[in-house]
Amino acid sequence: MSVRPCSVLVTGANGFLGVAVVERLLARGKTGIRCLVRAGSNRKRLDAVLDRHAGADVEIVGGGLSTPEAAARLIEGAPLILHLAASLSGPAADMFLGTVVASKNLLEAIAASAHEPKVVLISSFGVYGVAEAPRGHLVDETTPVEPHPARRDNYSQAKLRQEQLFFECRAKHDLAFCVLRPGVIYGPGGGAFSSRVGIAFPGAFLFLGRNNLLPLSYVDNCAEAICIAAEKARFDGDVYNVLDDELITCDEYLRRYRSEVGPIRVVRVPYFATMLLSRAVEWYHRHSRGQLPPIFTPYKTRTMWKGNRFSNAKLHALGFSPIVSTEEGLRRTFEYLRDKGRG
Amino acid sequence: MRLRIAIVGCGKIADGHVEEIRKLESVAELVAVCDREIEMAKQLAVRHAVASVYDDVDTMLAKERPDVVHIATPPQAHLLLARKAVDAGAHVLVEKPLTLCYADSKALIEHAERAGKKVCIGYGYHFEPPAQTLRSLIRDEALGEIVHLEAFYGYNLDGPFGAALFGDKNHWIHSLPGKLLQNTLDHPISKITEFLPDERPAITASGAVRRRARFGDVRDDLVDEARILIRGDRVTAYVTFSAHARPVHHFLRVYGTKNTAHVDYNNRTCTLDVAGTLPSALGRLVPAFQSAASYAREGVKNVSMFGKRKFHFFVGFGELFRQFYQSVLEGTPLPISHRDILRTSWMLDEVFAQVTPKRDGSGRA
Repeated sequence: MSVRPCSVLVTGANGFLGVAVVERLLARGKTGIRCLVRAGSNRKRLDAVLDRHAGADVEIVGGGLSTPEAAARLIEGAPLILHLAASLSGPAADMFLGTVVASKNLLEAIAASAHEPKVVLISSFGVYGVAEAPRGHLVDETTPVEPHPARRDNYSQAKLRQEQLFFECRAKHDLAFCVLRPGVIYGPGGGAFSSRVGIAFPGAFLFLGRNNLLPLSYVDNCAEAICIAAEKARFDGDVYNVLDDELITCDEYLRRYRSEVGPIRVVRVPYFATMLLSRAVEWYHRHSRGQLPPIFTPYKTRTMWKGNRFSNAKLHALGFSPIVSTEEGLRRTFEYLRDKGRG
Repeated sequence: MRLRIAIVGCGKIADGHVEEIRKLESVAELVAVCDREIEMAKQLAVRHAVASVYDDVDTMLAKERPDVVHIATPPQAHLLLARKAVDAGAHVLVEKPLTLCYADSKALIEHAERAGKKVCIGYGYHFEPPAQTLRSLIRDEALGEIVHLEAFYGYNLDGPFGAALFGDKNHWIHSLPGKLLQNTLDHPISKITEFLPDERPAITASGAVRRRARFGDVRDDLVDEARILIRGDRVTAYVTFSAHARPVHHFLRVYGTKNTAHVDYNNRTCTLDVAGTLPSALGRLVPAFQSAASYAREGVKNVSMFGKRKFHFFVGFGELFRQFYQSVLEGTPLPISHRDILRTSWMLDEVFAQVTPKRDGSGRA
């Protein structure tokens, strides 16, 4: 495969966040953008961005990071890599393949390359280990990562291992990289509810988040943060939380959703009841030897729904400032969800 | 004695193997997992607390000395890995398809037999509760003599597996001789084989590509619809593979001289078709309720099994492994005979030889 020289490679460029990143790069006047897009995927949203920026210097590359050789071809000549590609759902093995093994292949290609590109790794809040932290703990970049990956969901496990690989590569090959850990990325094109708010079951929404703060990051703000980090991070393995300035509670999010999108049947579950349910689910999972999956466990519940505070001060120190207010972000998101519901 | 078990290949089906091996702790102990991509071996080991991980099968075989090796890699590696395991003194349970062709399957089985080792294939569905019920019905002559079989296997290419194989033209599916069919047709054809006595039945197969062409390469050639007529001396069979029919079916119908049984593998039911016995309009009125009652009984049976904690997703694997380990330990017959494995392999070769990618009549892919 012959690829044009470029200034930045965006992996996962056709994803929810990836499309916003491409748009932000273009808005900031970036040229020579190489977009890695999974072959056969629906490119409607990315194409719409490219239509809005007709004549932009963007190269779409189909393929993946399934081997170090494939990754080597993709990174050829790219001085900067924004690594967004990851598997967000599916069986555990598929998630590890799409997130961990793909990143390992990318890192092997970087280690073998002559031009030593810098990397911005898009990780997740899911890597933090807050189960044992007290209620109201401030989650900043000094919060330890999860000490018990096997007790967490597959996505968090995969993102943890992905980050570890990057730090191992830095220790071994002096990789220049920084890590961004977004909270709940939301916006038009995304989903309605983070599991931090609750879980949708057929016929009812189990509302678990109550008055917990929701670490929202509007998709365009998250994309802006990535662009800022690409320009100003130290690239010595520095880590930045990515979230907006004006956070709202899960209660407020749900109230506005019902008011602006439409009614949903909600079952409010207090924290103690979620813990009781978690104990029951975990007990049954063990008792039945895995007949039902351990969707809830006390450990996951303490991690997800006990309630934390969040800091984006370090990102601010880099020069980040949200480009879309939470009020406007919610308005756009709920408008999209309302139209989608009608469609 | 507890058998020392190792798994080679840590993709998504390996989870099912681990879960069911762990339930057989009185006879089996999972000692190691191995994948040439060590991250895949590690993730499986972390999630299931497996003690040892390897990225080299020779090292694993030498260090762990397993009694049984489960091979759950893509099919291209089955023959090589199974031979290595046998040569290291292990019995092997290989995910379907056993190998890439009949000749290789025959060679592997003969190699194992010479070494005094057992080979089995991972047809878990054959050991799920409704399949066992079907065998009871046939054993009790409730169906009479089998006249015809009909197996349907549907597949949803819109899921994660479809995204993976369409997202990568180098995906291992594209280098299989039978492409996608080689990874799917084992399911319906092996179900037919069990009840078709003929060694070499006549086979007529056709395939089509119904999807729209999108890539301009090998991905556009994946056959996603196949129809196969199998004609034995006294029994005939019809096999359908469809990636487009909804809902995604997975069933076997066995037509006998007395009764017809319908095994639905998705919904875990085995029911007998109802024939009207009452005269006039009543003969058209009552059978629907009799059918409903039949399904209700199956539903109650499933609830009962759920209550007894015997309704796991991979329950068929569990029973297959139990019988295979018993065969290893006590010398009982294999749960799936080498003859049936080889006849299935031969039929698959015949099908692949006849099916070539063709656009359907609408010109769509």
